[in-house]
Amino acid sequence: MRKNGLTDRFFPGVTCRAIAQLRACRLIPEAQVRELCHKARELLIEEGNVVSVDAPVTICGDIHGQFHDLMELFRVGGDVPDTNYLFMGDFVDRGFYSLESFLLLLCLKVRYPDRITLIRGNHESRQITTVYGFYDECIRKYGSANVWRYCCEVFDYLALGALVLGASSALEPTSGTTTTTTTTTMATTTMIDDSELEIEVLNSKGDVTMSSHRPRRQHPSSDASTDSRNNNNNNNNNNNNIGAAPYRSGVPGTGASGDGGGSIGGSRTGAVLCVHGGLSPLIDTVDKIRLIDRKQEVPHEGAMCDLLWSDPDEIEGWGLSPRGAGFLFGGDIVKHFNYKNDLSLIARAHQLVMEGYKEMFDSGIVTVWSAPNYCYRCGNVAAGDYARSNGILGSNDPAADSSAVLSPGRRYRVFEAAAQDTRGMPAKKPVADYFL
Amino acid sequence: MALSQSATAISTMNRPGVSPAVPKPNSITINGFRITTQKLPILKANPIEEMTKKLGITPPEMIFGDNYVKIEYEKGGWGIAFSAFDALDRVDKTGESMLKVAYSKEWQKSREKTHDGIKEVVKPFDWSYTTDYQGTLHPAAQPFTPSEKPIPVELLKRPDPILFFDDVILYEDELADNGIAMFSCKVRAMPGRLLLLARFFMRLDNVLFRIRDTRVYIDFQTREVIREYQSQECDYEKVRQTLVGTRDDAPAVMRDPNRLSTILPVVEKRLESVTLGDQS
Repeated sequence: MRKNGLTDRFFPGVTCRAIAQLRACRLIPEAQVRELCHKARELLIEEGNVVSVDAPVTICGDIHGQFHDLMELFRVGGDVPDTNYLFMGDFVDRGFYSLESFLLLLCLKVRYPDRITLIRGNHESRQITTVYGFYDECIRKYGSANVWRYCCEVFDYLALGALVLGASSALEPTSGTTTTTTTTTMATTTMIDDSELEIEVLNSKGDVTMSSHRPRRQHPSSDASTDSRNNNNNNNNNNNNIGAAPYRSGVPGTGASGDGGGSIGGSRTGAVLCVHGGLSPLIDTVDKIRLIDRKQEVPHEGAMCDLLWSDPDEIEGWGLSPRGAGFLFGGDIVKHFNYKNDLSLIARAHQLVMEGYKEMFDSGIVTVWSAPNYCYRCGNVAAGDYARSNGILGSNDPAADSSAVLSPGRRYRVFEAAAQDTRGMPAKKPVADYFL
Repeated sequence: MALSQSATAISTMNRPGVSPAVPKPNSITINGFRITTQKLPILKANPIEEMTKKLGITPPEMIFGDNYVKIEYEKGGWGIAFSAFDALDRVDKTGESMLKVAYSKEWQKSREKTHDGIKEVVKPFDWSYTTDYQGTLHPAAQPFTPSEKPIPVELLKRPDPILFFDDVILYEDELADNGIAMFSCKVRAMPGRLLLLARFFMRLDNVLFRIRDTRVYIDFQTREVIREYQSQECDYEKVRQTLVGTRDDAPAVMRDPNRLSTILPVVEKRLESVTLGDQS
């Protein structure tokens, strides 16, 4: 009812026109922005802190105002609403088209609320946007801070995470009709056939550039996997003896690698937790995220701050960032969290990765990045077609009979920066100047 | 100056297969001085891991490990190069000179109550990536000697034609959205001389500004090379106060190292020179 009332009133003319206009990288009038932000808030306020999303879905990382690359992402990954999208925040700042990018995503959200999910990144904040470009862009393009203010009000209502609920467990072969999307580092969750395909990397043309298969092991109900099941149940009964339970997996010397990543990494439900930054020492269950009062500016400390700011690192347990604020978390933390919450994977963004995606900790967590040629200078410098890629992640349940690696089936589509000429960007060749 | 390392770094820059489409480096030779630059995308995960191991610290977020600027004198075995690895190898790896972000105190305080038992900083190092790197000299290079003679700025202000220009970034880090650290290297060659400026710029929001410039000036006729190193530093708040009184757009100035370099006080300055012999 809520959605109908809203969309009925709003989308028939206005939203469709606004979408068309924004797709052409043309801004909509301030009054429309105000209306749009109002509608978006009405919609977002109804969402929980952790939105449930059904697979298949294409999960995307940071966009950072790179509008033309966002359009490339839609071109490669499929359009909304044909493809179901989940964006993990950092829509604005740094790029030149934060407004166009964010407003388009917001319009799509209002128009197709069930086909696109937006969660909050650390850049969706008043303080950060005043320093890193979005505020200045609003002033420059609209002549006042009004639009910035409307957008910041929307930021406060964005969800903090999403839970992608399982499809089955393996990827369908690419040739099929699977809705795989590729964006810069996004993944799609697709139903898994009985195939053994575990990871597949595709380029923007849809060619498979890499694929890996689950090692076939002949004892489906072997110790490791069964154990993980049981442990899970125990854990749900608050038996959270940190360290003990998660490490029970993997017989040394089996494929369930040394630290037990094998069985811990994945659960059978195939749920994937998506957050912008990472975990928090204050949050040991997904349900605790649901208890946060999120409708505020991103605080400087506490659980909400951590979810948007923290980073995985090759350490044990929790660590403090050398910068004097913020947490780092190690593989054991991820494994324990995934195990306890019956997750197969954590998908997060927040950090630049050249390849578009980067898995860590026996595939217990993946970083997805969707702004190719970041800041217009990280890739693509001279060669022309070599960009920092974005990825999308498609997750599936771990195959029921799979063995060593229980991470979900996922398909990364890697794409390149939009062609130079569509971008209106300054030429790559530096202009000679008489510097001193 | 890590001479031995430099040699490896420079030679590995050209290793094949690093990136799919390695373009030919830019190059020009004037009066026996050969200037070469190479610009490639940021490193991928594997080379980053390799570099992390060699450096012993986490490299910056954007690491242009294949980029370099190199000046060689063809006749004498003299050369100077600028690369990301060598610049980062001079970053403090002990954590002795670690800075703290502006809201660190507040954050630490709130943490005390809630997360006992969380280890202190696991791998301390100077995460601002401040470096006093002044370039990597060719192992057989004639050494610089301390000098009083400044770089002839007036000659460089003349609108001589620029025969070669490049601006090469070596690394950049957003300090986890607390500012920026950036090392880049500009070079321009005119018919009679060249100037290279290697600049480390760091802004830690609400805490500190830092600029460390190395200028290399070469007179192609006399073969005199002058190297100037200058370090500038100032509290963030002081700079902000200075700008408040002016008509300048303070936030814009605080993002612009060129403007800032005219404001920040100099804390250290060194001059040295060498005149290259014609050993042919």
